[in-house]
Amino acid sequence: MRDFYYQFKEELSLNLKTPESSLCTEIIEANLHRPGLALAGFTGVYSYQRVQIIGTTEWSYLESVGSDKRKEIFGRLHDYRSPLWVLTHNAGLHEELLEMCLTQNVPIITTSRETLDFCTEVQDILEDWFAPYCSVHASLVDVYGVGMLYVGESGVGKSECVLDLVERGHRLVADDIVHLIRKGHSIIGKGNKILGHHMEIRGIGIVDVGKLFGIRAIRNTKKVEVVVELQKWREGENYERTGLDPLNTDVIGIPVSKVIIPISPGKNITVISEVIAMNMLLKMNGIDAAKLFNEKLIETMKNKSRLNSLTRLSTEVYE
Amino acid sequence: MVSVELTVINDSGIHARPAALIVEAATKFKSNVIFIKDGMRANAKSIMNIMLLAAEPGALIRVETEGPDETDALSAIEALFLSKFKYD
Repeated sequence: MRDFYYQFKEELSLNLKTPESSLCTEIIEANLHRPGLALAGFTGVYSYQRVQIIGTTEWSYLESVGSDKRKEIFGRLHDYRSPLWVLTHNAGLHEELLEMCLTQNVPIITTSRETLDFCTEVQDILEDWFAPYCSVHASLVDVYGVGMLYVGESGVGKSECVLDLVERGHRLVADDIVHLIRKGHSIIGKGNKILGHHMEIRGIGIVDVGKLFGIRAIRNTKKVEVVVELQKWREGENYERTGLDPLNTDVIGIPVSKVIIPISPGKNITVISEVIAMNMLLKMNGIDAAKLFNEKLIETMKNKSRLNSLTRLSTEVYE
Repeated sequence: MVSVELTVINDSGIHARPAALIVEAATKFKSNVIFIKDGMRANAKSIMNIMLLAAEPGALIRVETEGPDETDALSAIEALFLSKFKYD
C-alpha cells in the first residue's frame, strides 16, 4: 500500500486522510469494489478484501441517511477490514468512516479524479502489479512489427541472429534475459533494467546496441507474437513441411505461435525470420498461404477426377 | 531398381497432408524414390514435386526406388498408399 501511494501520489492526485502509519495494509487483489450494497445493509457477499471506492452514488447515499444511520452502517462494517478506502471527486469525508478506518488502522485517500476515470487507471496499475510474469533465457526482437521471441540452447546462435536482424533494420527489445508479463490475452516482453540493450557477442564481449546502431535499433517493450526455437539440425528429425498445422506453445497460460527452425551451416536464419514475420502478418490479415495453396490443389484434383469419370463414361457409351 | 504401380484411393487425392507423409516416409531411406504419373517424374523427397503431380483420386502412379534399401522403401510407400494416407 505504501508503494502504491508514493508511486502514484502525483499522477492520481492522491491525498491521504489518515496517519502515515495506516499505510501498513496490503492490497491483495487487482479488482476494485464499489461497496454500495454493503453500505445499504447487505453484507452476505461483500468483497471487503478489495480496495473500496466511494463514488458519487455511495457518497450521496451516505450523505442522505444522516449521521446516526452512518454510525450504524460503519459500526456494522467494522468487522470487515479493507486495504484501502478511496473517495473520488474530492468528496467530503464523513466522520463516521474516518473513525472506523482509524480504529482499524486502514488508510483513506481522496482524489480529485472522477470515479470511472480513477477506477480504470487504478485497475490497470493493479493488474500490472498482479500480472503473472516470468523471466526466460531468450531474445526478443521486433521484426516488421511482429514480436519474435528466440529460444534455444546456449551457443545455438540466438544473439548472432538478433544482431543480424538489428543490422537489417529491425529493433531489439532484449537479449539473453526477457521478462514476460501476461496482460489480458497477450504476453508483453521487456528487457532487464540493468542490462538495457546491451548484448554479449562471443568473441567481442559486451556491446551497447542502442549506442552502436542508434535509436532506430531499440525498443523497450513488445507483445510476443511468435516463439522461434532455434535447433541444431538433427538427422532423421521431421520438420514442418507444409505449414498446415501451425504449432502453438504455452507462455504463462497464453497460447503463442511457435516455429522450430533447424539450423545448419550456410542457412540464413535472418531471412527466414523475416519471412516468418511477414507470413505471420499475412495470416493476421486473413491470408494463409499454405491453406490456400492446398485448397487450390484439392480443387484441381477434383476437377480432374470429374473429367476422368466423364471421359470414361463417354468411352463406355461409345463402345 | 524396383517399381510398382499404385492407385490413389483416398477421397481428395495427394494434397499437402498426404504429400508431407510421403516425403516423411521417403526421406527415411537412402534410396532414390521417384513417382511417375502421366509421364511426369517427381522426386518423392521433395514436397513440391509430389504436390505438383496433382494426383487425383483414382490416379495411377508408378513408384520407382533405387538404392541399397530399395525394396524396404517401396513397401513403405505402398503401405502408405494402402492406408489412404492415414487420414481423410
